[in-house]
Amino acid sequence: MSEIDDSQSQREAIEVDRTKGDFKYEENYAFDAGIGLSEKVVNYIADVKGEESWIREFRLKALKTFTDLPMPTHWATEDLKNINFDEIRYYLSKGQKPSRTWEEVPDDVKETFERLGIPEAERKFLAGVEAQFDSEAVYSRMKDEMSKLGVIFCGPTEGLRDHPEIFRKWFGKVIPIGDNKFSALNSAVFSGGSFIYVPKGVKVAQPLQAYFRINAENFGQFERTLIIADEGSEITYMEGCTAPKFETATLHSAVVELVALKGAKIQYITVQNWSANVFNLVTKRGVAEEDAEVRWIDCNIGSRLTMKYPGVVLRGKRARGEVLSIALANDGQHQDTGAKMIHAADETTSNIIAKSISVGAGRSTYRGLVHMPKTLRNCKNNTECDALLINEHSRTDTYPAISVRGQKNSVQHEASVSKVSAEQIFYMMQRGLSEGEAMSLAVNGFVNDLVKEFPMEYSVELKRLIELQMEGSVG
Amino acid sequence: MATLSPSVGNILDQATQKNHSQTQVGHDWFVQLKQKGWENFSALPMPKRNDEKWRYSDTRTLNLENYHIGKTPSEDQVNQLIAQSHFISRPAGLIIHIDGHCVLRPAISAELAAQGVKFESLQDALKHHPALLKEFLLKHEAGLGGSKFLALHQAYLQSGYVLHVPKGVEIKQPFVSVNWTLADGVAVFPHALVIADERAKLSIHEYNLSATPQLKALAISAADLYAGAGANISRFSVQGWSNETQSFEIANTSGAKDSLISSVNAALGSRRARLENTVRIDGPGADVRLYGISVATGEQEFDQRTLQIHNAGKAKSDLLFKNVLLDKSRTVFSGLIKVAPDAQQTDAYQTNRNLLLSGEAEADSMPGLEIEANDVKCSHGATTGQVNPEELFYLLARGIPLPVAQELLAEGFLEEVLSKVDDEESAAVVREMFRQKFHQS
Amino acid sequence: MSDSLVIKNLNASIGERAILKDFSLTVPKGEVHAIMGPNGTGKSTLAKVLAGHPDYTVQSGEAFIDGQQIIGQEPDAIARAGLFLAFQYPSEIPGVTIANFIRAALVARQAKGAPFDAKAYYAELYAKMDALKMDRKFTSRFVNEGFSGGEKKRCEILQLMMLKPKYAVLDETDSGLDIDALRIVSEGVNHMRGPDMGFLVITHYQRLLEYIVPDRVHIMYDGRIVHSGGKELAIELEAKGYEWVKKDLANAK
Repeated sequence: MSEIDDSQSQREAIEVDRTKGDFKYEENYAFDAGIGLSEKVVNYIADVKGEESWIREFRLKALKTFTDLPMPTHWATEDLKNINFDEIRYYLSKGQKPSRTWEEVPDDVKETFERLGIPEAERKFLAGVEAQFDSEAVYSRMKDEMSKLGVIFCGPTEGLRDHPEIFRKWFGKVIPIGDNKFSALNSAVFSGGSFIYVPKGVKVAQPLQAYFRINAENFGQFERTLIIADEGSEITYMEGCTAPKFETATLHSAVVELVALKGAKIQYITVQNWSANVFNLVTKRGVAEEDAEVRWIDCNIGSRLTMKYPGVVLRGKRARGEVLSIALANDGQHQDTGAKMIHAADETTSNIIAKSISVGAGRSTYRGLVHMPKTLRNCKNNTECDALLINEHSRTDTYPAISVRGQKNSVQHEASVSKVSAEQIFYMMQRGLSEGEAMSLAVNGFVNDLVKEFPMEYSVELKRLIELQMEGSVG
Repeated sequence: MATLSPSVGNILDQATQKNHSQTQVGHDWFVQLKQKGWENFSALPMPKRNDEKWRYSDTRTLNLENYHIGKTPSEDQVNQLIAQSHFISRPAGLIIHIDGHCVLRPAISAELAAQGVKFESLQDALKHHPALLKEFLLKHEAGLGGSKFLALHQAYLQSGYVLHVPKGVEIKQPFVSVNWTLADGVAVFPHALVIADERAKLSIHEYNLSATPQLKALAISAADLYAGAGANISRFSVQGWSNETQSFEIANTSGAKDSLISSVNAALGSRRARLENTVRIDGPGADVRLYGISVATGEQEFDQRTLQIHNAGKAKSDLLFKNVLLDKSRTVFSGLIKVAPDAQQTDAYQTNRNLLLSGEAEADSMPGLEIEANDVKCSHGATTGQVNPEELFYLLARGIPLPVAQELLAEGFLEEVLSKVDDEESAAVVREMFRQKFHQS
Repeated sequence: MSDSLVIKNLNASIGERAILKDFSLTVPKGEVHAIMGPNGTGKSTLAKVLAGHPDYTVQSGEAFIDGQQIIGQEPDAIARAGLFLAFQYPSEIPGVTIANFIRAALVARQAKGAPFDAKAYYAELYAKMDALKMDRKFTSRFVNEGFSGGEKKRCEILQLMMLKPKYAVLDETDSGLDIDALRIVSEGVNHMRGPDMGFLVITHYQRLLEYIVPDRVHIMYDGRIVHSGGKELAIELEAKGYEWVKKDLANAK
């Protein structure tokens, strides 16, 4: 085998199944805000949704902030300059309300989600599902027993309209409009997403799931999620996403705010599998009050460029924050991910484990922020970043920033970069595995401890995705 | 002050810079080099807080106002400071500057001179070896954010030394350069140019000190070091300026094939001190070790920026920076390992450890990696915390009181780096300087 | 009382877990007492509590060195009062040489500002190292760093000999020692025995007590002394095993 063949087969070996979401249906939208971003577009969205004036003002203010803020290319990749905001469509919807049964969902849309396996998963193990097609949810249903316990699961329009006393207090507070350019953009044109409230003491055993689908070319998806877990409650939320392969770039820019009140636990799981032309620029942050816990479990496989640094503000004593992250970057992909831990109370602890795999000319970047100001005592952070480089010109970067003051606070950061060792591959091949299978095993082994943290159904799916593709590529 | 002569003018006045170049008339290229420095300095903006290369640094207090070029010191002052400059009993050569004026020109042994070794003040080298200077002087850029300060250094380039060790010559005893600041408000711009030809071996120790502890001063130093194939350069740089000094040191080292480079930066002095240390590996087989230690007290800020560039494969670099923080002090460590796309089989490591002995001190750490080759072993680690409670208990259980135990542990913490200094006498001097500093705080 | 190590009704815990339960024991100066017992019975906790380790909480009880209360004192004050703990797992202290470390401990015992006789110090240090068959180069090695198990224990005994406490608690000093090292360490301890010093030797095995012959042997179980006797008790225990103690105790109940 020549060296080039080697490298090719290695790359194919760990290529995951990106074709699963690569199909699309005809576009026929009743509501279309047109192309480009302007006050008119923002007003159009507010009109279609029939929003109260404070929301419209929030949107218009955000539009101004977005326009005023520069692209963060002084630290981020120049690739951001390739987003043409004037060519994007900011709102597209077929005009129907979210259905409570799949039968009511239009056939082509229903087929889309069936091909993605959503209804099946719902039957099997989910407490509730919301499916978003471009700008709006087409299906939203939660099991009845959840509603009886007082759990609210709806979209932002319904949440702010029907339960303002719950959601308005936190909306845009965890992530203010001006947090960054893309949170401002989302705040201006947000549509779709999940607003969830879990009442005091309610522990939702099964996960709630949202599935995001981009179907139209040149489209920007801007869903907004706000989860409030009241005192002592627990919830797991999962999101998945796909888009067909288009010739032109597509933009996905979400804002996700989590609020874990005293003693509550929120676990937020993402499997991001956008097609390789999507700019995925997402702001995610949680607040953890006293004895509360916020965990982000984040897996990034798709997209052209992902920039996402889930954060936790540890606001109450003994609050815990965690980010577990897997990123896989192939040719033409840049996974720029990381974590932010802001310690703001005594005895808070945070843990970050980030693993990335760079294949071909793929690039993965870790950016981290750990902040422990003075006046705090007995806080701890542990960070581990491991990067696996598969091919000769695979690339990885690590940029942590750690700031520590205070009494008895301690921070530990470790990062390593390695490749799959030739001896390891040889050993497995000597036992009869093909090179592809060996590479697949090695890669799975590398991420194994993190994959285990995903709920069973997801971790099986993740492993299967990787393995299936490898088998196919080697034969 | 009506009697200010032009040579002691404010460094921000263009006239001062022009006058400063007068002494080098006859070396047009050198005057032009300085002129170019002035132009760059004038054109470049002051660093700002949101500048990535200055992250965590307190840029608001950067201030170049009210510093002037140093006057010639009196004979008494010269004699007094020379007497305090003998840190090593038998250096290979000793050069001393006070306020930017060379007050002791180095004398090297006849044996070394016969081997072609050159150790001269920058001014002497300008006269004797203009071609060498033209080739090597200020060829490196400040890649870590200090361009404006390096430009000012270039504009006022005058003091410093040139050390050139020819092919195959190995010198074990260190060369020593001592820079003093003496006059209040003085600005100094010490330069170091070190060239080790193929298989040459040298050691250079630099002491940067002030005659009085409360002296207000500005020091912008630059060091350019070239290690040829198989050459061995060892550098020990001690930053012991007065507590009211703003200091900047921009060091650039390039290492050819099989070169061995070791540098130890010890930081004790200055109100704020910024170190930018870049090492570029251009040939396989090179082995680079960068070490740093500091004890920060009061409201000192030590801002350390490092860059390990691997342009060639099959080479090694290792970095260890350790900081002890007391009072309201602050340290910033920002390090980057860059492995170029073809630099396969690179081994590169980077470690930053901060020991917080006060709840009001702040340690910021940004260890970074940019890796573009896959067959590499790279890792970095950063820790910030207090003394290990089990170690502390062990000392207490022997009857050692808490403050003494903490000091012992902190000195032990520094020892890992001090033990890398290639000359025991010099290490002992600095060990004692650190001990004094603990006792003062 | 005024010339003994006296432990009275000591109750101590780590976190929520009670470990010492009404523990009492008196070791008169000049005697060597051994505490034996199965693992997890609280032997090492006793050592740490006496030395003032911050991880343990004392609920009630007292302990005196020649009449001076040590419970509630800082660890360094207890040490200077005359209690020496030879650690089961001595800490590694990077960057601090043995010579500097012992010197700092001795200076801490002098009157403030009193001159330190470095010459006499090194003479004594080297003599004791020779006795323990330690290489003199050890003085410039960092405390316990990279030491073998035997070297660590010898280093503990060296400190014991240099600091000359009133009472020494030896916590499992025999663990990790081969037979030669055990002999050397024991000789060091035996050399220190005399009317001015008391020893509390904590061990799991009788083997050590063949070399350091105790005046009294105590069996510890579940946080207190359950049986005391002469040196023959150790031999009996070795023959019958700890199951005997447990059974004995169960019968007594």
